[in-house]
This record gives sequence, C-alpha cells and structure tokens, in this order.
Amino acid sequence: MAKDIKISIRNLYKIFGPNPEVALEYVRRGMGKAELLEQQKHVLGLRDINVDIHDGEITVIMGLSGSGKSTLIRHLNRLIDPTAGEIHVDGEDVMSYTGEQLRQLRRERMSMVFQKFALLPHKTVLENAGMAKDIRGYTTSDFEADARKWLARVGLEGNEHQYPHQLSGGMQQRVGIARALVSDAPIMLMDEAFSALDPLIRSDMQDLLLELQGELQKTIVFITHDLDEALKLADHLVILKDGEVVQQGDPQEILLNPGDPYIVDFISDINRARVLRVRSVMSPPDDGDSEFAGDISEKDNLESVLLKSEGDMSLNFRVLRDNKHVGTLHMKDLARALVPTAASADRSKNAA
Amino acid sequence: MATYDSLFSTLGLEDWCSEGQSDGPMSMADLLAKTKGSDVEEPSIWELPFPSMDALNESCAAFPQSRELTKGLEQGFLAVKDSLSLVLDPLTQPLSWFLDGALYAILNTPWWIVIPVLLAVVYLVSKSGKLVAFVGASIALLAFIDHYDYAMQTLAIIFVCAFLCVLLGVPIGIAMARSNTLQRMITPVLDMLQTLPPFVYLIPLIFLFSVTESKLYGIAIILYAIVPVIRLTNLGIRLVDKDVIEAADAFGMTPRQKLYKVQIPLALPNIMAGVNQTIMMSLAMVVIASLVSAPGLGVLVLRGIRNLELGVGLVSGLGIVILAVILDRVTKASLARINVSQKQ
Repeated sequence: MAKDIKISIRNLYKIFGPNPEVALEYVRRGMGKAELLEQQKHVLGLRDINVDIHDGEITVIMGLSGSGKSTLIRHLNRLIDPTAGEIHVDGEDVMSYTGEQLRQLRRERMSMVFQKFALLPHKTVLENAGMAKDIRGYTTSDFEADARKWLARVGLEGNEHQYPHQLSGGMQQRVGIARALVSDAPIMLMDEAFSALDPLIRSDMQDLLLELQGELQKTIVFITHDLDEALKLADHLVILKDGEVVQQGDPQEILLNPGDPYIVDFISDINRARVLRVRSVMSPPDDGDSEFAGDISEKDNLESVLLKSEGDMSLNFRVLRDNKHVGTLHMKDLARALVPTAASADRSKNAA
Repeated sequence: MATYDSLFSTLGLEDWCSEGQSDGPMSMADLLAKTKGSDVEEPSIWELPFPSMDALNESCAAFPQSRELTKGLEQGFLAVKDSLSLVLDPLTQPLSWFLDGALYAILNTPWWIVIPVLLAVVYLVSKSGKLVAFVGASIALLAFIDHYDYAMQTLAIIFVCAFLCVLLGVPIGIAMARSNTLQRMITPVLDMLQTLPPFVYLIPLIFLFSVTESKLYGIAIILYAIVPVIRLTNLGIRLVDKDVIEAADAFGMTPRQKLYKVQIPLALPNIMAGVNQTIMMSLAMVVIASLVSAPGLGVLVLRGIRNLELGVGLVSGLGIVILAVILDRVTKASLARINVSQKQ
C-alpha cells in the first residue's frame, strides 16, 4: 500500500507569545514546555513535527486537550502560520504561497469539517452545503444538483430547505460533511468533527465516514481525543503529547508495540479484542497440514473470531483476502495478543 | 495682599507679574480692603482659596483669569469659523436638499396617498396585519386632531436623518470592528457625542451655518443619533461566531466575501437594534432641534413652553409619544423577524 505522499510536514514548530523567534532558540536547545512557559512566558504549541500524510488514507492525529492537535491541523491550510518548518502539499511549499494561491488551495484542494459545525445560520441547508462552490462564484442553480446529491448521500434528503437551527447536532454535522464533499477537494481536514455528538450518533457518523471513504478515497486528516475513534478510523495514527509526536504508524502496530509509557497508559483501557484485527496477529499461510475450523477475513476483529471459536483455544482459522488464502490464525496467538502490555498491567494492579 | 503673593515672589516672577498690571478699575474687594485700612486680618487656613486661575490672578496680574479661557475658546472658534464653513458648507449642502425635498414631498402629496404608502412600508418590514392596523389608527388619530402636517414633517425629518445615520454609521462601525486602533480612537468621540447635552452642539452649529438652512438641525440630529448604530454595528461584527469566521477562512473566502456573506448577515440583529435606537434618538433630537427652526411637532411643544399654552404643549407631546411608539414597534417587529431567521 505504498501510496503517494499528499502532505508532508517537516520540522514544524509553533510557539505562541510576543516573541516566538527568541523562544524558538530555547526550544531548539531543548527547553521543555513547562520551563518555556515559566521562564520565557511563551507557550509551546508544536515541537519538531514530522508527519507524512498519504494520498487516499485516513490519518488520525490523536492527543488529549492541549496536545496541539487542533493547532497542527490548522497549519495544513495555514489558518495558523508556523514559527518554523515546512509544509508541502502535492510537493508544493505552502509556506511560499501568496494570498491568492493560498485561497486557491483552501477553495479547491482542501475542505474542512469543524467540531462546532460552523454552518451559516442564515442560509438553508442546501446553501450551506454549496458554500464552497458559492465562494468560487457559482450560483445556486449551478451547484444545486451536486449539493442535493451529497446531502442525500449523508442522509439529509428532504431537509434541503430547512435552516441549521432546525436540525439536531448530528444532522448539522452531516451538513458539515456534505459541505466538505460538495467542494470536491481531494483533502478533507476534520477537526474533532464528531466530538460534540453523543456516542450513538458518533458511531453512526464514523460508519458513514468509513463508507464514504471506501467510495471516494479522499485524503482525510482527522483530529480526535478519543482513542476508540482513532483506532476505528485510522490508516495511519499519529499520537501527540505536549506538542510532540510520541509515536506514529499503523494503529495495530502501535497497539501491539507501544513505544512510550504514555501510550501504554492510553491503550490500557481499550477493548483490544474489538480493535485488533486478524491481519495483525496472523501467521503466514501453513502448508496445508493444519485443520481449519473456518474461514475469516483479514479485516475481521479478534472479537468476532472469539465469537466464532466459542472460546476453544486449540482451533486454527484460515485467513482470506479477496478469497485468497493469505495466512493462518492460531487461537493461541490471538490469546497472546490480547494480553495487555506489562506496564499497563502494573498500572491496573496499582489502581486496584 | 492676596494669598498666593509669596508663591510668585519665591519663584522670582514679580517682574513678570507687575508687567501685567492693568490700569483697569478696582474690584469691589480691593475697594473694601482699602477702606478698611491696612489692618487686614491674617487669612486663616480655613479660607485658603484653591489655587485657581482667578485666585492666582489676584496675586499676579499677568496670570490669565478663567473668563479669558472661555473668551479664548470663543475667539479661536470664530477665527477658524469662516474657513471651516467654507469647507463644511458645500459638503453638507446635500443634507439641506434632502430635508427640504422630503418636507416638500410629504406635505404636497395628498394624505390619501401618503398614509397608504406608510402602511404598505409598515407591512413590508413587519409582515404583521395587527401592527398595520395599529399604525393606521394612530396616524388617523393624529390627522383627526389636525396634527397631521406637523407629524408628517417630524416623520420626514426622522426618515432623512435616520437614513443618513445608517448610511454613514454602518461603514464606520465596520471599519471600527476591523481595526482596534480605530476603535480606540472613535470610542471617546462617540462617548462625547452621547453625553454632551444636546443643546450644547447646537451652539457651534448656529455659528457655522445660517439658521434658515435646514441642514443646521439635520447635522445636530445626525450627530446625536448616529452613535448607537455605529456602536452596535461594531459590536455586532465583533461578536460574530469565531468558528463561522474560521470556516469562512478555511473555505477560502476573500475579506470582501467574508464581510458580505458572513459578518454583516450575522451582525444584522445587532445592527437593526442600533437602527432602532438611532430612530428613537432622532425623534428625541428633532424636538430639541425645533429651537433652531426644525419644523414639526417640536414647534408646537416649543410654543407650549414659550406662551404657556398648556393644552397645545400636552397634545403635541402626546403626538410625539404616538410617533415614538409607532417607530419603535415597527423597527422592533422587523428586528424580531430577522432574529427568528437567525436563531442558532
């Protein structure tokens, strides 16, 4: 799955305060966030961020509040300018853009979905969905068909002429997603898009997003503070803490090999069986000597396999991808994968 | 022997003081002191005067008296008056034309055209049949007691002035919302316009323009009534939801698109509240402006005061109340309509 790099972020620093250039020198010499705030009265937003965002993937940036994730996503379309560092989109240096080029980028190549929806309250759902086209100078009749199509796709058929305040939060965010889709931009930035929704609706919206992504293969950058959401959506997971990348990579990989005590703490509370997938724990295909209790897909999560095995740890399953035999899952490996990492076990003992 | 003699002598300014010695007539106090002879009592600390201009002048004749301050201001104003009115006169001339035109039009159109047109406007902005009926009844009452012409003059002046207030005030408010420096500069001016007693700015205007010209009271009304629309436009645009502004930026709106598609529409409830205040304040000022020949109900109020005609004063006062209620209800109704379509 070696896809092209769509956006690349190199050595990105952001420092908030009256004199960030001076503070930047201290940070480069290794001053920490707390020290910087105390001694220099500057807030360290981001420190030395290097992330590659691949074409057609969902890259999830996860971190707790204050970790700089919202700051980071706003650098991609330069709603915030960095103190130092480079941002390349399609190989072009965004930092060198003029005002007009930047507007072009925001209009045609990047769309954005916001935590608080940020719809125009005085416009109808249809006009809101077509906002990006309207900004580019199209009239309502030009984009109406398109807007109706995407509104229907996100489940808002028949609501076109209502106003945002007449819709529930979940429906408003569907308008937000439709607005991003109508813009036809290949890159979608989603800033905590589902965090303001209640859990059931959030889960629906995640499914909707995955479904849309299956059809459209956009490059999505998704910000969240919710690990379950991150693991459900991510092709590539970036974990931020205090403005620094703690670990990034395949979410399954991070789960099985956490590289930092911070992440271990983070993942200790999640349901591993539901998040881990067969492909992360399977062995290469055997030469046919073992007995298979059944066929499973490499994308199945371990919970569904457990259900199939009814708890029998001696079974083996044949793993299929597009009906081809790609591996074997031994239930023993599955059990091993479910063992929580050592540090988190310690922590749960302490907690008990 | 005045209290602060010693101050000037210690500063070595006696020479300078005596230069200003005038040969003018003695003041009463000096005369009294002279008749009493030299046995002037040592002044007690309880009677120590504040070192004001007049008190210091007593000790040192060269020191200016406070009446010279007011005189200086007056002379300064008179000195720049001619050049000022040379610039302001042509600049404000259209205001006279608007006012005279509006007054002429409303008085020379028959009532059976003016009243239906007014009611149609009321329906257009409020979409409320009840309100139209109320306004119709109120105007009919005013006409019935033969105050129709006066009321229409007042209305015409308010329309012209409030319209110009909005025309000038909204752009000023927008400019203020965009620049903090400009806000810091304009806010004290607005504070002054709002707190200065309305009679006070009639005075320099009388010097600047001829009293027979209608722009004199037009300017007074506009200066007084423009404040709320500027303030509330500024406030409204500053209060526009930051998230929506961010979304507008993220989708690549130009500053102009942002202003017309986001900021003004979202600030409209506040701007309309400002327009309502502006109209009410022009009504208040149009009464005061009758002192400088503004026609309308204010003239009758003035007549009531001058000639102690109680009935005339009361009836015209009531007419003003009726106009105020009409204007307030109509602007509030249109404000309410905007608010409904903007509920978050």
